[in-house]
Amino acid sequence: MSEQFEPKIVAFVCTYCTYAGADLAGTSRLKYAPNVRLVRLPCTGRISPMFILKALQKGADGVLISGCHPGDCHFTHGNYHARRRWTVFRALLDFTGIPTDRVKYSWISAAEGVKFAELINTITEDIRALGPFTQYHGLIEETQSQASL
Amino acid sequence: MSIEVQYRNRAKELLSNGEVKLVVGYTGGTTPERRRPVFISSAEQVDRLVLDDLCIANLSGYLVTESLLSDEKSVAVFLRPEGIRSINILAAENQLNPDQIVIFGFEPAGNTIKALDGTNALEFSEFVVSLSENPSVSDSDPVIEKLEKMSAQERFSFWQDEFSKCIKCYACRQACPMCYCRRCIVDCNQPQWINTSPHTLGNFEWNIIRAFHLAGRCVECGNCDRACPVNIPLRLINRRMAVEARESFDHFAGLSMTQEPVLASFKKDDSETFIL
Repeated sequence: MSEQFEPKIVAFVCTYCTYAGADLAGTSRLKYAPNVRLVRLPCTGRISPMFILKALQKGADGVLISGCHPGDCHFTHGNYHARRRWTVFRALLDFTGIPTDRVKYSWISAAEGVKFAELINTITEDIRALGPFTQYHGLIEETQSQASL
Repeated sequence: MSIEVQYRNRAKELLSNGEVKLVVGYTGGTTPERRRPVFISSAEQVDRLVLDDLCIANLSGYLVTESLLSDEKSVAVFLRPEGIRSINILAAENQLNPDQIVIFGFEPAGNTIKALDGTNALEFSEFVVSLSENPSVSDSDPVIEKLEKMSAQERFSFWQDEFSKCIKCYACRQACPMCYCRRCIVDCNQPQWINTSPHTLGNFEWNIIRAFHLAGRCVECGNCDRACPVNIPLRLINRRMAVEARESFDHFAGLSMTQEPVLASFKKDDSETFIL
């Protein structure tokens, strides 16, 4: 019996909404897949596309980026700027052949602990179905550098 | 009077009466079919200027050379329509004062070239608007269409083949008028965001990030594409970004000197179909 593939997922989240949402999921004792590694940032506007690429380059199979709903940003418009960037970055990833379904985006507020737990479960299943990101892993191996999360 | 003679005379006049301190133009290259940039600072040298349909480089990048414009004197420059758009972007991004730039505009017309009326970037605003209204003939690039029809995996291997050739010489960055950062992200090593080794992974990082930084700013002058010593089709990736900026945000790079950079502005109702 072969072992089930456990994807590595990196989540870049904003501290005011999604991180608080994740906190709520924890304090509400909701269970969700342990495959996700949260990286807390001050705002989605702080998430440079470089972070997403870096996560993939270090061997992640999927990336989640999540922050406050439009209009709820602590800094009033960081998430609007982020949204434009993601639109362009998504097109760029698609054009260079990096599967866009490995990079997910969401809005999760501090009150949406349930949404957070459910989302993590769904994307873990989605990425599991896609399998390991072998294309990129091949490139990582070529560099002969250690890539571990 | 040919446009070459006409512009030489104008350059001579501007230099001798001190209206400009420098003319950035083209001169003969190492082979008959090549042209290279020339920097003319005295009226006696204007005969070195050459202007014909082989003059394709976008010279606007030289204008952001450090301290060139800091003495508030004017500089004249030979520009194609893309170059004029570059000036608009550089002005919009506060990299230069457009009043210091005297433009010698020209555009291709069949196998030859014709002069564009105007000397200041403002005088070209109608012309640039007309450019944005008729997206260039080459808008539907056969290679882009082919790429779009491929599966993600096929596209990945296409770019893998292309990027594996990259030797990280940064000629694309050097040639690009939009790459004026004093410290490029690839030169930052605390932390090192982009692998500097020319392995395919590092090349992917570099080329993707450069394309991203040019999204909504690239005017498709083709400088990077021509500068690339290993012929990576960089124009494809830049064109795709330009198309995205136009389709998603109705943004035509370099439309005016007051245009907001597409990734430094937003609308509350920007589309967000992909966000869960």
